[in-house]
Amino acid sequence: MTALERIVTTSVVPLDFTYNYRVGPYLENYIQGLGRKKILGSKCPDCGKVVVPPRKVCGLCNAIMDAEGLVECGPEGTVDNFTVGHVAVVKGLIEKLDVPQVLAMVVLDGASVPLLAELKGVEPSAVARGMKVKAVFRDPTENDLSDLSHFEPV
Amino acid sequence: MQRKVAVVAQKQINSADVGMPRERMLYELVKSLYEEVGISRDDIDTFVLCSNDFNAGHTISNVFEDCPVGAYMKDETKVEADGVWAATYALARILSGLYETALVVGNSQGGSVMRPYLMMDYQLAPVYDRQLGLLNELSAAGLQAHAFLAKKGLTPDTLDEIAARNLADAAKNPDAFNGKAGASAADVAATDMLYEPLRKGHCYPFTDGACALLIASEEKAKKLTDRPAWIRGVGDSIDTYYPERDVVDVKSVKLAGERAAAMAGIGLKDLDLVELSAKFAHQEPILLEGLGLPADGGAASVSPSGGAFGAYAFNAAGLVRIAECFKQLTGSAGDTQVEGAGYALAHGQDGLCMQHNAVMIMSSEEG
Amino acid sequence: MIMSNVAIAGVGYTPVFVSKRKDVNIAEMISESVATALENTGLTPDDIDAVTFGNMQTFEGLNMPHLWSAEHILAVDKPTIRISTGGTTGMSTLQAAYYYVASGLYDIVMAVSWEKQSEGDSQVGLAGIVMPEAMVMVQHGLDLFGGGGLSAMGGGSTGAASFQAMSYLHHSGADPEHIDKMAALERSNAALNPYAHLRKKTSVEDIQATPFIAWPLRFGHTCPTSDGATTCIVMSEEKVRKMTDGNVAWITGLGSATSDPSTANFLEGQLTDPAEQEPARIASAKAYKMAGIKDPSRELDMAEMYNGFAHQSLMWLEKLGCCKEGEAHKLLDAGALNIDGEIPTNASGGVFSTNAIGASAMNRPAECALQIMGKIEGGHKIPKKIRKAVSHGWGGMFQYVTVMVLADEPMKS
Repeated sequence: MTALERIVTTSVVPLDFTYNYRVGPYLENYIQGLGRKKILGSKCPDCGKVVVPPRKVCGLCNAIMDAEGLVECGPEGTVDNFTVGHVAVVKGLIEKLDVPQVLAMVVLDGASVPLLAELKGVEPSAVARGMKVKAVFRDPTENDLSDLSHFEPV
Repeated sequence: MQRKVAVVAQKQINSADVGMPRERMLYELVKSLYEEVGISRDDIDTFVLCSNDFNAGHTISNVFEDCPVGAYMKDETKVEADGVWAATYALARILSGLYETALVVGNSQGGSVMRPYLMMDYQLAPVYDRQLGLLNELSAAGLQAHAFLAKKGLTPDTLDEIAARNLADAAKNPDAFNGKAGASAADVAATDMLYEPLRKGHCYPFTDGACALLIASEEKAKKLTDRPAWIRGVGDSIDTYYPERDVVDVKSVKLAGERAAAMAGIGLKDLDLVELSAKFAHQEPILLEGLGLPADGGAASVSPSGGAFGAYAFNAAGLVRIAECFKQLTGSAGDTQVEGAGYALAHGQDGLCMQHNAVMIMSSEEG
Repeated sequence: MIMSNVAIAGVGYTPVFVSKRKDVNIAEMISESVATALENTGLTPDDIDAVTFGNMQTFEGLNMPHLWSAEHILAVDKPTIRISTGGTTGMSTLQAAYYYVASGLYDIVMAVSWEKQSEGDSQVGLAGIVMPEAMVMVQHGLDLFGGGGLSAMGGGSTGAASFQAMSYLHHSGADPEHIDKMAALERSNAALNPYAHLRKKTSVEDIQATPFIAWPLRFGHTCPTSDGATTCIVMSEEKVRKMTDGNVAWITGLGSATSDPSTANFLEGQLTDPAEQEPARIASAKAYKMAGIKDPSRELDMAEMYNGFAHQSLMWLEKLGCCKEGEAHKLLDAGALNIDGEIPTNASGGVFSTNAIGASAMNRPAECALQIMGKIEGGHKIPKKIRKAVSHGWGGMFQYVTVMVLADEPMKS
C-alpha cells in the first residue's frame, strides 16, 4: 500500500465519566473488615482455598463461597513476587517517579493466593522473595479499601 | 472439521501514526484487498469485524466501520477481542455451512488516537484493582517478567536479546513499522527502566493499524486463489482473573495449543514457525514453553515477522499474526521467508499477563 | 446448506430485572443467571464446552468485562469469546453460540448477556456512539441541539427515535393513539411477567397522561433502564438427544444486516429514512428462507420484537413480514397482538418494559424458546401451542438488525 496523504488534523476529546459501582456483599464485608484492621478472605467450600480479597465464585472448582463466613488472614505474610516501579502509569501515560515504588505479591498467613500491595520501609535492592512482611493500616481507619495502607518488613 | 476452510488473502496497515481516521484506513485497506483478489463486496457472504468501543472511542464501534469495509446491507457482526478470536468466529460461520466467504477486519489506533495503557486499565476489576491503582499493564508485566526470570534463574539480558532479535527481524518485514536493522541487546538495555526488570525496550510499540483477512470454504478458496493457506485447528482458553493463576506456566496457553493441535491432528513440534503476540519480551519464552516448544523454538522459527515488536495494533494484532503465517505458507514472506514452511501457528492474547490466549494452526497443504 | 441442527436447551434469568441491583456487583449479578441456566438444564459447569459473552461495555465503563468476570461466568479453562454489536448484542452473542455449535467446533455453548445500567449513565453511553463526531462539531461551532438536521441530539435516544416514529405514522396510516395502545398492551403484558421490570397494568389513558419527550413520543412510550442478565444454553442435536428430554427450542433461521449510520438522523444530509429499516427485511428474509418459512404472516405463532419505543412493535411486525405494510395497527385494533391473539406480540412486555440493554436482544429469542418449551413462568404464557416464533434485535446507530427464528421441531436434514 502506498503512503497516504494526511487529510485531517486531530481533535482532542478529553472525556471523563463517573461510574457508580456496587461492590457487592463480599467486598462490602472485606472493606468493613479493613475498618477493624482485619484482612478477610473467602474460603472455598470445595477445594478449601482461601482467596483475598474475597469473592463469590472460586475459579478453580466453580464453587460458591460464603459472603458471611469470611476467614481472617494475616496480618503477616510472605513476599511471593515483586517489582520495583520506577514509573507510574497515570491515565495511560508513563510518569517517572522520584522515589521507586515496590509492589509485592504477598501471600498472607492463612491465605492461599497472593495479594498485590505496596511494600515500604525497605530499600528496593533489599527486597527478596520469601521475605516476611506485615500489613500496616491507616490510623484511624475510614472503612475504605485504602485502609490497608501498605506492608513493611516484620 | 466438517468442512475445509482456508485463508485466501491478507492486507495490513501498521504505523505509529497513520494520519487518517480509522474509517478511511479501513476503506483503503479493504479496497486494496478486493482489488488484489479481483472481487467486490458482493462476493462477501459475512463480515466479522474486530474492534473495541474503548479503543475506538465510539460506543458500538462497528457502526462506522460497516460502510468503509463494504458491509452496507450485508450480514455483519463484531468481536470485541484480539483478532484471533474474530478469525476463529469467521471460521465457525463458514464451517456452519451457511456462508462460503467471510471478511475479517480488525483495527485500532493506539499510536495516534487512544492510550493503550489506559485502555488496559479499564479492563481491571472496577471495585478493587481500579480503586487501588497499583495494577496497570506495565506493573503487571513487570511482575510477570520478574516471576519468569526468578523461576528460570535467568538474568534480564535474556529479555534484551529477545527484544533485539524481534526488532531486527521486523526490519526485514515491510508490513512492520517498528523494525530496527542491526538492533542489539545493548540498545535495548539502554532504554528506560519501567517496572524491574521490564524496560521500555521490552514493550510492544503503540500502533495505528488494521488487518483484513479473506477466509473461504474449500470450493470458493480454490476459485479465488492458487495458493490458499488452510486453517487446520483453533483453540483458546481463559485463565482466572485473580492472582491464583501461574503467570509463568500459563495454563490457557497450554490448553489453547493442545486444543488446536488435536483439531489439526498434528503435534506442536511439527510446526515450522510460530507467530506470537508477545506484547512484552518475557512473554515469548513463556508462550513457547506453554506450547511445549524449546526456548529457541526448536524446529520452529519464532515470529520471523518480528512479532508484536514490529507492530501491535489492538484487535488487529492477532489477524496480523495469521496474515504473517499466510505469507509464510504461501511463499510470499520475502526477506522473512522460512524455507519450506508447511505448518504455522498464529497466537493472540487479551488481558493482563496474557489471561486469555487463542491460537490458530494453518498449513500450506490441504490435508 | 445447514450442516447441523442447533437448539436452545435452557434459559436462565437473574431473579429480577430492576432499576438498581444494589445488593450485588456486576460479576455477582451475571453469575446468578449463569447458575440458573445450569440449574434449569440440569448441567454442570464441566458440561459447557465454550462461552460467548456480551454487553455494552461503555455503559458501565468496563473494557472486556469477561476478563474480570471469568470466574463468575464459569469460563475458566474454557474457550470464551466476547461479542458486542450495540442494542443487538444479546442476540449477536446467542448467534455466536449458534455458529460455535453449528460449526461442529463445540457441542454445548453457554451464551451470557447482561447490563447493569444503574452503574453508569446510559444516555452518556449511547451518546458515545457519535461522541467523537459530536465533539468535533462542537469544536467547529456547530449547534448540536437545534436546527441544521442535528436536533436529534436534544432528546437523547428518544429524540432520535421520534423521527422514526413520525415517519412510521406517516407511511403506515397509524394514529399516535395506536402508539399509546401498543404501549398499554405491552405494559399490561409485562405486569404478568415476573422477569419484567415495569410491571403495572396500564391503560391507554395512563400512557396519554405522560408528557411528550419529542412528538409523537411520550415518556410512556419509552423503555426503562434495567439491571439484569440472561444466559442461554445452546446445544447440538446429538447432545439434545443424549442430555435432555427433547423439550427444546430449535434455532431454524437467523440473520443480521446493517445500513448506514445516517439512519439515526444525527449527521446532516440524512440519506436513509429511519423507518425504512431495510436491514430488517434482508435479515428476516434470510432467516425465513433458512427456516423454510414461505409466508411469515401465516406461519408464525408469535413475535418478540426489540422495541425501545412503543411504535416500534408495530413497525417491526411490518418490516419482518408478519403482516403487510400499514396493517400492524389494524391487527392491534383487532386484538390479534394480544397474548391470546393470532400473533401475540411481545407477550413478555418487550424491551419497552425491561431493558438491561446487553441482555435485551437475547431476551427476545429466550422468551420465544420458553414459550415453545411451555416453560414460561407467569401469566404471559401464550395459551396456544407455539410451533414457530420470530425474534428480533435492533441497534447500532438505528441501522443494525438481527433476526432469529425458533421452532418446536428441528429442520429435516
